[in-house]
Amino acid sequence: MTYYVVVFAAGFAGSFHCIGMCGGFACGLGRDPRGRAATALRHLLYNSGRLTTYCFLGALAGALGQIICTRQGTTFSLMGGSLDALERVLATVAGLLMIAMALQFFGLLQAFHRLTAGFVSSTFAISLRSLMTTRNRAAPLAFGVFNGFLPCPLVYAFAAEAASTFQALPGLLTMAAFGLGTFPAMLMMGGVGRVLAPAWRQRGVWLAGSCILLLGIITLGRGILPFGAHVAHGFLGGHPA
Amino acid sequence: MTASGGDLCRHCLLPVGPRALQQTINGESCAFCCYGCSIAFQVKNGKTEEWEAAWLLIRLGIGGFLSMNIMLFSLLIYGGVFTGADARVLPVIDILLLILATPTVIILGGPFLRETLVEGARGRLTSSTLIVIGVGAAYVYSAVAVFEKNAQVYFDTATMVLMLFTLGRYLEAAGRARAARDLEPLLAAERENVRVVQNDGTESFCPVREVETGTLVRVRPGERIAVDGVIIGGASRTDEAVITGESRPVEKSVGSAVIAGSINMEGPLLIRSSGSGTATRWAQICRSVREALIRRSPIQRLADRAVAVAVPSVLLLGALTVVYWAQWLPLHRAMLMGVAVLVVACPCAVGLAAPLATSLGIGRLARHGCLVRDASVLESLARVRLLAFDKTGTLTLGKARVVAIETDGTATSEALAMAAGLERHSEHSLGRAVVKAAAVQSVATAFARDVRAIPGRGITGQIDGAIAAAGSLALMHDLNFSIAPALAESGRQAEASGYSVIYVGWAAKTRALISLDDTPVADARLTIDALRARGINAVVLTGDLAPVAHRVAAALGIEDVRAGLAPEDKRIALGGYNRSRDQVAMVGDGLNDGPVLAEADVGIAVGTATDLAREAAAVVLPVGGLWLLPWIVDCARAVSKTVRTNLFWAFGYNFVALTLASLGMLQPIIAAAIMAGSSILVVLNSLRLERLPEPASSPQAQDRSAGAQGIHHELGLPVALGAVIEQS
Repeated sequence: MTYYVVVFAAGFAGSFHCIGMCGGFACGLGRDPRGRAATALRHLLYNSGRLTTYCFLGALAGALGQIICTRQGTTFSLMGGSLDALERVLATVAGLLMIAMALQFFGLLQAFHRLTAGFVSSTFAISLRSLMTTRNRAAPLAFGVFNGFLPCPLVYAFAAEAASTFQALPGLLTMAAFGLGTFPAMLMMGGVGRVLAPAWRQRGVWLAGSCILLLGIITLGRGILPFGAHVAHGFLGGHPA
Repeated sequence: MTASGGDLCRHCLLPVGPRALQQTINGESCAFCCYGCSIAFQVKNGKTEEWEAAWLLIRLGIGGFLSMNIMLFSLLIYGGVFTGADARVLPVIDILLLILATPTVIILGGPFLRETLVEGARGRLTSSTLIVIGVGAAYVYSAVAVFEKNAQVYFDTATMVLMLFTLGRYLEAAGRARAARDLEPLLAAERENVRVVQNDGTESFCPVREVETGTLVRVRPGERIAVDGVIIGGASRTDEAVITGESRPVEKSVGSAVIAGSINMEGPLLIRSSGSGTATRWAQICRSVREALIRRSPIQRLADRAVAVAVPSVLLLGALTVVYWAQWLPLHRAMLMGVAVLVVACPCAVGLAAPLATSLGIGRLARHGCLVRDASVLESLARVRLLAFDKTGTLTLGKARVVAIETDGTATSEALAMAAGLERHSEHSLGRAVVKAAAVQSVATAFARDVRAIPGRGITGQIDGAIAAAGSLALMHDLNFSIAPALAESGRQAEASGYSVIYVGWAAKTRALISLDDTPVADARLTIDALRARGINAVVLTGDLAPVAHRVAAALGIEDVRAGLAPEDKRIALGGYNRSRDQVAMVGDGLNDGPVLAEADVGIAVGTATDLAREAAAVVLPVGGLWLLPWIVDCARAVSKTVRTNLFWAFGYNFVALTLASLGMLQPIIAAAIMAGSSILVVLNSLRLERLPEPASSPQAQDRSAGAQGIHHELGLPVALGAVIEQS
């Protein structure tokens, strides 16, 4: 459980980073003239669309990890604590990826940022813009679904983390915890529309970076440390499956 | 076919073919070649107030939401989450999946179903048919299974296949539109609206085809000028790249002529149209590009035929797969394999392989002012091994220039000053060349009085009180001017080798002779060399005299010369080459080149060519665009190679995937992802053509600075040195 709390915290802290891009969208979605309930519904729809995309990515990443690593009949290898070589490689890759993302959050890896942004963003941004102003009640849901696919280092980092769980359910839960973590900030942005002071946003980014760095190091540790030394993993309670 | 959409897809500018999709967007009827283009166009150009465009996105978003939820549950089921004690929730989850899947199949499958029905009514099977049958089978089977409490449902297959195909078609169409970027300004001529100023000063929009002579048109900065005309108000700079191929601003003010297709870069302009809106060169280019895009090349026709037989055979193969595997496996497993076969066999990429690469190539060439009349031309051009040139007007400009001045001891500058003083009053092209040479050499022309032109002989006048003359040897004899034997001899030699010679004399003595020759086209030598480096030999076929032809050819490094040919002889000579080599191209300009341009595998007309030559040619170069030839060959070869690799990939992909699917080694979802991937692969492979290098910058630009020195060098060389053809 502790594991998911850390992910949730990372999502929460990281969402202050998101305010720059997704927050703008949430603000743009704005208030519904039909009243407060309609406004709330609007933003819940938007956020659940986003959450669905995250969960889907998480489950997919977890399942992919599983397909790559599972041999016949040993679906629950992780529970038994027996990580085979392939899982170690995947965990190492995922861990390194997360650490790279974390360093980027601290402003240390700028080239990586350019790689993640601007890849498919233009295509998505176009569709998002035209959905934003539509009065249709279902539009925020579609908006959220597309929004979830926007290239974002945070999402990539947690998708990598989800893949390193080697199963669909923990992968899904990882991304769900992350997505739920971003809820408060995004709902606040939509409802209140108030922009946080830059200093606070910076602190949020640092906090998110620290959480991701911690998770990255743990994941990397799973990949390269010998079997007996999964202290951090045990400390965080492991993955319930 | 509508006036606005024509036969080309509104989004990707590929021919729409028999399966055009008509839709009204932004109040305008648009034709699309496929569902993907319709999505991509609406995403890009649909106004959000437009119900249609927004609704499409909402539908896709909701479809995505539902299918992702279905996929989530399915992943959990496959991951073994609901086993053991949790297994009793499975029937509930199945019902939930049915509830989620039904709207998804309706929302995402609707367009595919509609296409299937419309085409089915016309008796045609398309790739949509395969998707509809595959998805329908998976959905109906699963729905029945839910009520029969059968554990196996395939809602994820049904919805994800639809989602992936929709996404694949969208991404593919988005990529295709990028390929059409270069073509867009050329094809805009037909649907452009112009701001017409009425007599009472009010402005209204009307289609460019309704513009007539004398119509007043206002063009704002940043807009394209859609009519040929004269500026009667305002000043600006324009970019005429679409017509001339050269992108540089041209100053324009009241009284300047503007050409349709150029872009007004700075200030607002009021233009009086000088002709009908459909008679501009831009509109002609537009029509010719459109025709080129619509004509299918042989390789494309082959691919189309393959696609036509593919769908029924795949249906058969799918059925056979199900029947075969049903003998060994439960029906639902066998059915899934059949679905995989149907899904993986969609021949989308094969149909896309050739037209995409060709239209990219045509657009690329068009951006530099080279018009290609036919898609198959690029394929022939890629295989050309012999390029035959006409001489006058193609390798040379048909304009005389001074190449040498020989004297009896008098200073050449004095002789030139005398000659220019007389020829200043002449209208003859040789005379103008002499005046130009004097100007280039900064020789002050002598002042002549009583100047008289003697037809067929030359020109005489009084300079410094003495009679001076410039013209033929006969004129010198008429005036009883004496001539040194050496000078007379070199004059004879020069005339024998095809030079034009002007004798200059004054004070009863012939003192100099000026040799003139045709001006070679800038960079002709470099062009020939570059072509040779690409394995293409050059020959000259000309109606001109042998000595002249040989001299020009030698200067350009061409060995094979056939001179003194009548138009019909040229055609026969080319036919001889045709038989001995694989593909032959002919470059020409004149009226008499029409037959030979038509006879060649690829006829290429230079920009200054007569209308007849342009009509007969498959490729038309821009004015002064001979230097583009090596680049055009590069483009054609790259396009041809891309078409081949595209077809290889598309067929190979289908073949391998189909084999795997019928052996039951491919999940339908993976199959759908692979198929979407194959079209995108073809698009990406074709877009690599965008990375082709631009042609090296136009020699004309360098010419303006370097040209003056070029003539300096050539002047003063004795005729005996023979051919002095430098790049100028």
